[in-house]
Amino acid sequence: MSLIKEAELPGLGKKYQIELESSDRLVVVIYDEGHRELYHFPSGESEPAFSFTLTDQESRQVGSVIGGAFYQPRMLEKLELAIAELRIEWLKVAPGAKVVGKSIGELGLRKNHGVTVIAIIEEDSKGKKKATAINPGPGFVFLPGQVVVCAGKLGNVERFQEIVTREED
Amino acid sequence: MFEDPVANLGLVFIFIGLAVLTANKLKFSSIPLLILLGIFFGPHAPGYGWLDLRLINVSESIELLSRLGALFLLFHLGLEFSAGKVVENGVIILKGGSIYVGLNFIRGLALGWVFFGSVPEMLVMAGITTVSSSAIITRLLMELKRTANPETELILGIMVFEDIFMALYLSFLSGYLLFQKAAFSSVFLSSLAVMIFVFFLLLGARRLSVYLNRLLSIHSGEVFTVLAFALILLAAFLADVLHVTEAAGALLLGLVLAETLHAKRLIQIFAPLRDLFGGVFFLSFGMNIDYHQFAAVSGIAVMMTFATIAGNLLAGYLSARACGYRGPAAANIACTIIARGEFSVVVAGLAATAGMVGIMQPFAALYVLLLALASPVLAKRARKIYTAAVYFWNKLSGIKQILGNFNAGKE
Repeated sequence: MSLIKEAELPGLGKKYQIELESSDRLVVVIYDEGHRELYHFPSGESEPAFSFTLTDQESRQVGSVIGGAFYQPRMLEKLELAIAELRIEWLKVAPGAKVVGKSIGELGLRKNHGVTVIAIIEEDSKGKKKATAINPGPGFVFLPGQVVVCAGKLGNVERFQEIVTREED
Repeated sequence: MFEDPVANLGLVFIFIGLAVLTANKLKFSSIPLLILLGIFFGPHAPGYGWLDLRLINVSESIELLSRLGALFLLFHLGLEFSAGKVVENGVIILKGGSIYVGLNFIRGLALGWVFFGSVPEMLVMAGITTVSSSAIITRLLMELKRTANPETELILGIMVFEDIFMALYLSFLSGYLLFQKAAFSSVFLSSLAVMIFVFFLLLGARRLSVYLNRLLSIHSGEVFTVLAFALILLAAFLADVLHVTEAAGALLLGLVLAETLHAKRLIQIFAPLRDLFGGVFFLSFGMNIDYHQFAAVSGIAVMMTFATIAGNLLAGYLSARACGYRGPAAANIACTIIARGEFSVVVAGLAATAGMVGIMQPFAALYVLLLALASPVLAKRARKIYTAAVYFWNKLSGIKQILGNFNAGKE
């Protein structure tokens, strides 16, 4: 995970500075007036190399594109998203995991684990997406190989990860 | 000139619209343009025969709107530039801000004493020239695309520091000016007491916010807006009772309410009101100025402008260094915080209500205009100024070295 530094810009808005793996810095300024500016600082530079401005609407669209709402690359297992307290995780159900064969309602995920299942993606043997159940009901039964997209607080999601991805002995 | 108040008001807003539109096109703050239009189309404007530029006058209604404009402007400033926003970098901002404001204030006092040789004028002069304009500077930062730079955090932090400094200084200065007739020491002490009261009010703002949160937790937008407006007027009135300028009351209320949960909602509601009536405030300040008086103050204004620029470059650079910024970033800080604006106008207006009419207002107008012209030029060329400074510094140390060698050779 990269480090995100937040700073208040009184009279203007807020600034988010993201240290990238390439050691460049990406700075997002969100103005109180609604528009955003993106700045790219090459590593070691104190002046931005380039910048561009997005309207409120555009930045929401760009945000969802980058967030993977339309298309997600492979290797979803390791992906994690942290927005303050919220954690969204893509988990692959292990063949011998505790949850296999049990339904969402049976496990009482929301009540007992503090975790909400947003979607379940089923893949066929070649890794191609077969079917997606968005916001599955309490009767939905977990099967090995499914990718569970769940949201919750960091600790809760980690505990849930245990029973989804670890093989029971 | 129109006798009908609505026609006069309509014309006033046509000029404000013109200033705002032009400023927007030039991507610069509208404050200097508003003052300029006020001077050239107000009651003191030139008028020869058929060509009469005296189009608008300061009627009673304009006066009231301008006062409201000042209240909204300072209330909004207090909300935006409050201590709560920079709490994380508190120590750095305290350090940088006190160096910057302290040096500027001393320069203002010293030159005020040199030019006028009397205490009230000296204090007003320091008030007009110490604090920079956050409205102009934030516009400048956006225009130059420097908002994401690391040093911008310090620049805006200094704005916050100035804001709090001004809340204290205005409450001291107004008490002092409005009571000048009484014995010097007692006035000084009572003004000091008011200032200390304000200081503790600001310190206790966080604790007060618990009650204010409860008072303001109103769902209805209508009730909330009316209540907040009533609070501003109440603060202005209470300030008046304490012999503090109403502007300081509004600023203080803004600073206190900024600590509550409702700060964002208040900003959203009062930003359009500030935009509307703040323009009237600056325009009517210009309208009250007779440009014939410029001749008398131009010398002081030009000298003060140069002194401010030089003093600012030094003070900005020193406070930047104290906060750990080096090289071009420090130069950016020094070259950006130059413009003066809203607070200079407020202090000049305060001087007018205290009966100091004639010199301070045209001085403040000319000074704000001159710095408004100079500041974008300097801010844009921060890099060049830095390289030039480094070049001269190296030359200087080179000469020193040669002199040193020369002396060594002689021995």
